[in-house]
Amino acid sequence: MDYQKLAKKLQGLQTISTISKILGIKKRTAINYVYELRKKDYVGTTYGKRGIRMYKISPVKRKIVGYPSLYEVINKNSKVGLVTSYEYRVHNSKLSIEETIVKAVETKSFRVILASLGLFSKVKNWSKLYRFAKKNNLGRKIGALYDVARTVIKVRKMDLRIRNRFLKNKVKEKYVIPNLKSKDFKNIEKLWRVYIPFRKADLWVYKE
Amino acid sequence: MINLNTQLELFKIIGKELKEKVECVVIGGSAMMFYNAKESTKDVDLVFTKKNDLNKVKEVLYNSGFGPRKEMIKIFRRYEVTENTPVMMVGKDTRFDLFLNEIICFRLSSTMLQRVREVHEFGNFIVKVVSPEDIILLKCATERAKDRVDAAELIKRFNINWEIILEESLNQTKLGKGIFPVFLYEFLLELKEDLKAEVPKEVLNKTMKIAEREMIKAMKKGKLVREK
Repeated sequence: MDYQKLAKKLQGLQTISTISKILGIKKRTAINYVYELRKKDYVGTTYGKRGIRMYKISPVKRKIVGYPSLYEVINKNSKVGLVTSYEYRVHNSKLSIEETIVKAVETKSFRVILASLGLFSKVKNWSKLYRFAKKNNLGRKIGALYDVARTVIKVRKMDLRIRNRFLKNKVKEKYVIPNLKSKDFKNIEKLWRVYIPFRKADLWVYKE
Repeated sequence: MINLNTQLELFKIIGKELKEKVECVVIGGSAMMFYNAKESTKDVDLVFTKKNDLNKVKEVLYNSGFGPRKEMIKIFRRYEVTENTPVMMVGKDTRFDLFLNEIICFRLSSTMLQRVREVHEFGNFIVKVVSPEDIILLKCATERAKDRVDAAELIKRFNINWEIILEESLNQTKLGKGIFPVFLYEFLLELKEDLKAEVPKEVLNKTMKIAEREMIKAMKKGKLVREK
């Protein structure tokens, strides 16, 4: 069987059901085909909701270059997932959790920042987080988002000395996301002097 | 000639040297290397949307030992009439062609940017890789035989969405530098007949009809297909 042609026919994101529908075969046969395609490097596996296996099929044997992007790091470590229309790879160095949080805030995207809140539970090196935040002038924003994350998820306590250093950062831009603020988390906003873009309801996704 | 690893190393150097974030789109053979559809390429084609970004990369390349090339190498059709020629930076084994918004007679449209399949971050240098469909469409504007082989290879390897190619050729015609469905029809016909590429008959017929329609429209408006 020409597996490259098969991969070309099945190109994209598939499940066992969709493969069996497209090819008009039994699910058992579809599993066997995926097994063969995987052996020939045409398949990568991801997991959808309820642990459903999704097969990313490409007719070209891909050389994976670089390291996972912030989207992949978030998807691996946070309860809130992100979907991008493109594949993002980072080349200079592997992204750490701390760097990913800072990069997520830099995007100024509501969904990305919301998903990155889950990463605070994985932070091990608070001074590293501080270093990256300071470098990008995001000290207060990161500090405020840490406090927001603490309201919904179990997060390790930040070293008090680091917290004070975060609090000493200058406020250059008050908005985490331009022109977006909410009426919830007023106490956090007052302490950190930045506007939190989330409402309490936005964070329910972490409680589900 | 450079391969993917060398290209990645060059991009890393650019990313390290740049002081601010610069975004660009990679097209042609370089883009094909990201898709593992080509082993090596002679020139790295980058398209920028901001002139400032282009100049920054040009400066970095200059500082890294690349020199400007003054005389043009005729790759694209209509080189004689275009005002937007690329900045060519020549190194020991490779050449960087830096375009600003337009790739000779092609415009980097918003739809092309939406179809970007891969994004690679090299520090401050962000490189977006255009979709295989757009690579094929861009190849149809060139005159090199090698580009036909590349396009045939893409057709062989990828499940090409022909609708996208047809729509983009019309979109480019609207943007106003040529009657792209005509170029595309000639190109696809060559691919099918000479290189035995799997171009569906319906696609050829549809392209021919669109090309005829667009030619009639252009003639009514008093525009020529190719200027001399």
